[in-house]
Amino acid sequence: MTSFFRRLCGSAAVLAVVLALNFFLFRVMPGDPLTAIMDPRFSPEAKQQLAAQWGLNRPMSEQFAVYIKEMLSFRFGLSMMTGQPVWDELKNRVPNTVALLLPALILSAALGVWLGVKAALARGSKAERLVLVSGAISFSFPSFFVQLLLLLCFAYAWPVFPLRGTTSIPPPEGLITAFLDYLWHLTLPLLSLVLLSFGGWALYVRNMMVKTLGEDYVLMARARGLSRRRVVWNHAFRSILPPVLTIFLLSLPGVVSGAVITETVFSLNGAGRFLLEATNSHDYPSAGAAFFLLALLTVACNLLADLIYVLVDPRVRRVR
Amino acid sequence: MARRFGVLFVCVFLWGAVPSWGAAPVGASFDVSVFEGPKMEELYYVIMRDMDAQLLAMSTGGLDVVWDLYRPADVERLARSGKVELSLASSFHGFFVTFNVRKFPWDQTVLRQAASQVVERVRWTRDLFSGYCEPLASFLPQVSPYYEPNVTAFPPGAEAARKRLAGAGWTWNRSGWLVTPDGREVPLTKIFCPPSTVAATTTEMAQLMAEALISIGVPAEAEPMDFQTMLARVDARDFDACTNAWSMTRDPDNLYAFYHSSMDVEGGYNLSGIADPALDAVLCELRYAPGEAAAREAASRAQKILSELMPVIPIYSRYSISAVREDWDGVFATDRTTADNLLTLISMNPKEGGQRPIYWNIPEEIRTMNPLVSSTAYDWTVLSTIYDSLISVDPHTFEDIPWLAESWRIGTEEGRTVLTFTLRRGLKWQDGRPLTAEDAAFTLRFIKDNNVPRFYDSVKDIEAIETDAEKRTLRVVMANTSYWHLHNIGGMILLPKHILENVLDWRAWQPTNRPHQALDGEALSELIGSGPFTFRESRTGEYVRMTRNAHYFLASGSGVNARTADTEMAR
Repeated sequence: MTSFFRRLCGSAAVLAVVLALNFFLFRVMPGDPLTAIMDPRFSPEAKQQLAAQWGLNRPMSEQFAVYIKEMLSFRFGLSMMTGQPVWDELKNRVPNTVALLLPALILSAALGVWLGVKAALARGSKAERLVLVSGAISFSFPSFFVQLLLLLCFAYAWPVFPLRGTTSIPPPEGLITAFLDYLWHLTLPLLSLVLLSFGGWALYVRNMMVKTLGEDYVLMARARGLSRRRVVWNHAFRSILPPVLTIFLLSLPGVVSGAVITETVFSLNGAGRFLLEATNSHDYPSAGAAFFLLALLTVACNLLADLIYVLVDPRVRRVR
Repeated sequence: MARRFGVLFVCVFLWGAVPSWGAAPVGASFDVSVFEGPKMEELYYVIMRDMDAQLLAMSTGGLDVVWDLYRPADVERLARSGKVELSLASSFHGFFVTFNVRKFPWDQTVLRQAASQVVERVRWTRDLFSGYCEPLASFLPQVSPYYEPNVTAFPPGAEAARKRLAGAGWTWNRSGWLVTPDGREVPLTKIFCPPSTVAATTTEMAQLMAEALISIGVPAEAEPMDFQTMLARVDARDFDACTNAWSMTRDPDNLYAFYHSSMDVEGGYNLSGIADPALDAVLCELRYAPGEAAAREAASRAQKILSELMPVIPIYSRYSISAVREDWDGVFATDRTTADNLLTLISMNPKEGGQRPIYWNIPEEIRTMNPLVSSTAYDWTVLSTIYDSLISVDPHTFEDIPWLAESWRIGTEEGRTVLTFTLRRGLKWQDGRPLTAEDAAFTLRFIKDNNVPRFYDSVKDIEAIETDAEKRTLRVVMANTSYWHLHNIGGMILLPKHILENVLDWRAWQPTNRPHQALDGEALSELIGSGPFTFRESRTGEYVRMTRNAHYFLASGSGVNARTADTEMAR
């Protein structure tokens, strides 16, 4: 408990540093929201009006105080890009991103882990070679290429999936039909993400499992006459579970930060592009809020990983 | 289809006969009353970002109109598909290489002139853009009514440039690098540009410019960098040379913003830092010209002086290219206006008759529907179908034409420009309430009183606003004399007084989220204008749905006479 409390305090300190860096890094980055305006119809005087509107003409300390207040109260202020509350902007986008990326992460991890274990168990076979080759292809192909290819095949040549978005135009009526329509729109992007990321998992797990299957304790388990299934999943796989879980949990914040290329190719309304545009156009409130929430999620996932470690690895429990 | 596109392409180059699908006769004074519409009941602005996906959607019917096509391969592919009508027009885009004339060696006019001689505009644009750009020889794009073709043109080529430099006393050292008449060696010039991953052709253009400079003995290299970093360094005047692309307007007033010495301040656009008294005087004449003739004369002289001073080298101007599916009638385009315009939207209807929605592409997300803060071209694509202005632009000549105002007068009284607009009879807002001169006056006052940044420059010189309900006139007195006040005030969007007077915080105003009265059984929001289509709903990142505005002044049965009364335009 003391150890967990110490970790909690450490996480709070990390968040405080992130909060401060979030403010200062954006302001020391080259340019500001005004230099990004390159329009000869926008005079220096008009830019001053805009600076006043955004509070950029106030002293830095005052801007910092306002920023801290907005962040800690989770209000986040108004986006400079859209003039809307940052919360509303995130609320519009994050659900789509999570609906796409969370299943994609779970499916690609599950598929990759399963294929990795199977490949490790069938060393030298065609199945292993197939997993290695498909894993390498999946890992190395550029996402936009694969996604455009899928669009071309399944949305144009054989149009079983839509070309864009998360809803048909006009949208279907009725809750269930609308939900099915939503799932239909997400299928192709989801499939593309699974195709693009299962390979990394498969190769990683296969390598770990090959090493683990050669360990003495696995040999011992076999010698004890345990079933193959128990040897593989209860002994060998369990020992590689902590690093696999760590990677999985630390991938979770990425589920919120979005996938810019996927969102662009499939015209999805997600958080990735918003975050990119907010950063590029120096939209301080939006970028600040998004990075703060990401930091919060990363710290939370880190804590969760620590807790789960204790559950899956008895050695950690004993040490603590 | 490919042949038709070929014809269009040749026409643009010849700058002669105008390929037009529209109803307005070529060369005739443009008469908006020949347009009646909108004809279609429903319009969807569909957000589709990826260009390849857009092209697939054009083929399958998921999109009817795509604009801002810029990749030559896409244009060729669409032309071959046989399913779309392409239109191409010169645009107000301009690409320049800017020198920092505040520091050595680019403070030397003769060196800038020599640099301009080694620019091979025709070859560069042909090689990089397969001809889908036009070389730019002056400081305004060719399409501008104020473009001056007779500017100083120095003989092209490295030989001629070297001769010019040698004539001015410049020499070359043993390594072949340039030395000034007073013995200073020319240092390395770094040409800032965005990285090739962001703008491949711009990076290549900077490399070509560097090679051209090396050919006359100027050590030079392209320095690609993050775009924001480049903007910040250029804004801090910490550069030797850089690439710039601008979207200009039909008014040559942007010459003042780019080259007047008073604009060499923080946030100003005189990036080169040129400060020449003769140029400043002419640019002041241009900005404060009392009439069109004086403005034309000043614009011409400004371009001639700039062609001598050469603070920036004009390189090319992009064409606008758009595509409309072939199954639509009523598509309107000219040699200066591509098919993605309001008149197309008003008059388009399916060739096979009947009703179906129009699917019009928006390549980026709509950022905001608040017209007071919105600034992107994508936002304004939607907003310009909702809001109207008093005057508009002839798509053939770029001259002013009557719009909500049936006539106007521009005059000068005691050194002040006075604008008088007479509104059409029977105008209505989309919610059915009458649109009067008082609405126009309220819009102008609201924007001025609140210092709305986006429109600040247009209204800051307003001194007085008067209306006459009987005569339907709006009289605006400006604090000084300038012909451009007509375009600034006449081109301002009009908002309904009955909506605007309830807006407490214009910065956070989200008109689409605030319910207004219902129309035809469907609720309206506060996004009410007088344009051809009425906003109905939007889904962030997905689409915007609009329906036909039956009260539109060009709509059949609207009760508004679209024919112009004796328009009085003092020029």
